[in-house]
Amino acid sequence: MSVFEWINRISDDERSRKAWFSLVCLVFAVLVIIPSVFVILKMFTEWGIVSEVFGDPVTMSVITSALWNSFSIACIVTVIDVAVGIPMAWIMVRKQFKGKKYLDTLMDMPLAFPTAVLGISVVMFWGAPEGITIPGLGLIVSPYIMLILLHTIFTYPYMVRSLSAILEQIEPNYETAAMTLSASRFTAVRTITLPLFRAGLVTGTILCFARSLSETGGTLIALQMMGVGSLFFTGPTFIAYMKTEYGTDAAMGSMILISVLMIVLALILLVVVKVLIMRFRIPVKKVWPKFGRFVSRGAMPKLKDTVSVMFLAVVVLLPTFYIFTYLTQPMADIDFGALLYSTGISFLIAGVAVVFNMVFGIPVALYIARKRHTKSGKILDSLVNVPLIIPTTALGFSLALFWGSIYAGDSMGLLMVILGHIAFTFPLVVRNVTGAVEEVDISYEEVAMTLGAKPFQAFSKVLMPIIKSSVIAGAILAFTRSLGETGATVAISDSVETVPVYIMGLISANRYSEAAFCSIVLIAICFAFMLAVRIAVNRGGSRA
Amino acid sequence: MPEIVLDSLQKNFGSCSAADGLSLKVKDGEYLCILGPTGSGKTTCLRMICGLTKPDGGRVLFDGIDVTDVPVSERRATMLSQVYSLFPSKTVYGNVMFSPQIKEWDEETSKQLVKSMIKMVHMEGKANAYPRELSGGQQQRTALARALASDSDILLLDEPLRALDARLRLELRQELRSLVKEMGLTAIHVTHDQDEALEMADRIAVIRNGRIVQAGTPMEVFQDPKTPFVANFVGRSNIFTGKISSVCDDFTEVVLDNGTLIKARRTEIPEGTDVAVAVKIGSTRIPAIVSPTEEKPEPETPHGFFRGRVERILYEGATVTIEVDTKDAGLISSKLPNRRYDDYEIGDEVMVTWMPEKANIFAISPREIDEELRLD
Repeated sequence: MSVFEWINRISDDERSRKAWFSLVCLVFAVLVIIPSVFVILKMFTEWGIVSEVFGDPVTMSVITSALWNSFSIACIVTVIDVAVGIPMAWIMVRKQFKGKKYLDTLMDMPLAFPTAVLGISVVMFWGAPEGITIPGLGLIVSPYIMLILLHTIFTYPYMVRSLSAILEQIEPNYETAAMTLSASRFTAVRTITLPLFRAGLVTGTILCFARSLSETGGTLIALQMMGVGSLFFTGPTFIAYMKTEYGTDAAMGSMILISVLMIVLALILLVVVKVLIMRFRIPVKKVWPKFGRFVSRGAMPKLKDTVSVMFLAVVVLLPTFYIFTYLTQPMADIDFGALLYSTGISFLIAGVAVVFNMVFGIPVALYIARKRHTKSGKILDSLVNVPLIIPTTALGFSLALFWGSIYAGDSMGLLMVILGHIAFTFPLVVRNVTGAVEEVDISYEEVAMTLGAKPFQAFSKVLMPIIKSSVIAGAILAFTRSLGETGATVAISDSVETVPVYIMGLISANRYSEAAFCSIVLIAICFAFMLAVRIAVNRGGSRA
Repeated sequence: MPEIVLDSLQKNFGSCSAADGLSLKVKDGEYLCILGPTGSGKTTCLRMICGLTKPDGGRVLFDGIDVTDVPVSERRATMLSQVYSLFPSKTVYGNVMFSPQIKEWDEETSKQLVKSMIKMVHMEGKANAYPRELSGGQQQRTALARALASDSDILLLDEPLRALDARLRLELRQELRSLVKEMGLTAIHVTHDQDEALEMADRIAVIRNGRIVQAGTPMEVFQDPKTPFVANFVGRSNIFTGKISSVCDDFTEVVLDNGTLIKARRTEIPEGTDVAVAVKIGSTRIPAIVSPTEEKPEPETPHGFFRGRVERILYEGATVTIEVDTKDAGLISSKLPNRRYDDYEIGDEVMVTWMPEKANIFAISPREIDEELRLD
């Protein structure tokens, strides 16, 4: 009897379904949730060394300024994203134009690039770092502004995507109706469509905020290239700096403190943002017909669209691709062996994490989607968001502490890094699959079962083909996210050298040219890989 | 071809009861319609038969065997849902092939079976089309073929005609019924459309608040309703409340609260009991006004139970509905053949009457009648 037949047979039994789901929940709790927040417990058990930090005004001031930098940058970046994201989402959903498909793909590019590479590219574009021969714009900006520019790039796609997803579900009928009742387009959108928008705004805001808060690799590289790596900190770079400079044991107190502060503040913010956006009512009582008409007619809408597209081009895309200017330079001496080795490690980690999350994340997604109205569904739904909102560096540090307290020694470094990557990519898979499953009427599976399909067959033969593309999208998202992650990897292990860690090492050694070429090679490999996945999947689809 | 017995099924969703001691017997090879208003527990009843919903109490028996704990996939009771749920990633052929493939039947036999089923529902020309390319009627037929190609011997139809255009809905009634009969299946068809139920069913079970109120042939349910609710739900009725004043061999006399005397069919209910009298609007008559003649210069209104003024005349094609405003009993409706359209004008003084044997009588107090007649 094959494995599938066996699964089919036991899936008919309610007890075995319950047992499987209990296992999934256990895995979720033990591998994802508990390690992610373990550091909070650690703060109490290690209160002695943590309280020492309180007594050290120098470290405390660095910690508070790092936290301030992290949270204020995340805030500003999110506000920028909302402001430019809404008109862009409009263009992507409501407008038809030539080349829309390409623009759509281009928009996701910053997600496909490892943030470490983005860091190099962005600093090259805006500034003029020492040791780089390619001319950039040469602006002399503070590290703070530079980080805002950098973080805007990789959070922007999240915002536009979240807003477009909701906008697609809002029928243009409402606006049309409002306009036939003689509202200007601006007034119609502001009073009718925007209030329907909140869910997308919440998702987008949380994603952008969390992403900016937890980003380590690109930030670290940008700061190093600007020569302020040991002067200017964000929360995650502070953890990474303490770890590499002083080692985990010596810096334990301050690392625990900043991790806990980041986790707790992030969770509080998550709740506050959710409540604020859902409670806050966009003021719709008052209308300004003249102003509305002014901005809805003539050159204004065009101006708005042009500004949105210009922003995308100049602030997001150009800096992203600027690293390719290195192709005009003579090829640097790349240590292909080391590059391929670290690429292999990265692919291994990302691959295992994604496969694991497919097996254990999809059942969680199914449960959330199908039982959303129940209490347990809601709890699971909120819990899944936890690893998403926690800064990955803090998460990695926490995870290392958790497993370190069970098994001491660094020989398990790779395994622990994999566990870390499982934890922070888990929500990405679950979110994508949940969204897709919710769109599918449960009657497909039910009818399949009344036609004689076992529950597992109803899932694999009926539901899976329908949600396939979302599952793959989730897998690719998780894969690229894992590939580009620096913070968690560094926080967990010193010995595991993934690609971003390798590139960061090159930057630290001022080997810019080599780092850039490695980045280009890496991007090429990633694209080839993703293309291969898509082709393989499509072929599989047409055969079935 | 099994006989289905539902034995005092119980199912609560929170405080709401979808099945409250639901008992029903469906005969082997029968086409049974479950008729009830929205929220009466129709769909829950179907779901408990095929196993998608587990009852809190009671049993489901197929041919005398308790299947309450048998998983959905082994009950051989196939659901045809109101949205058809054709698998969007499969063609018509692929959809119909689903069951044979899942059950790993011999490939050649399966192909033959699937082809013959597709032919039976006249979908040969569209075998390679995807569901999104089909019209509503074609989707419905494909879903039916898919159900027939499984080896199920019970077919559960959840408002199968609901999503279709009005015209097509009428046409498909007989087609659907004859296909099911041809295959010799036991079919349970859930609907809230009384015409559909009356036309298609061997028997109708009227459901309300999770209980079967009455089960019988369309004629029984229509002509001899067991409760005022059934009387009003299956074919609209005019309802009057009063007390029995005398019981005769041929008819019963009921006196309304204001003293008006009306007649209803013979009953066992003793004199003096509070009752409701229900007369189908199709049995409510409004005799034409006798035009004035030489001998009788005054226009004569024939005898009747109530006098009233014609309030509204609705032309409905084959029929007309006349609404009469009576002082004694409010608005009374009457459905008449359309040739009577010219007999009335708004404002005419008319009498309302009926044959006593067409008037059903139920023992019920006036306080309960509004609750009894509620449609939700």
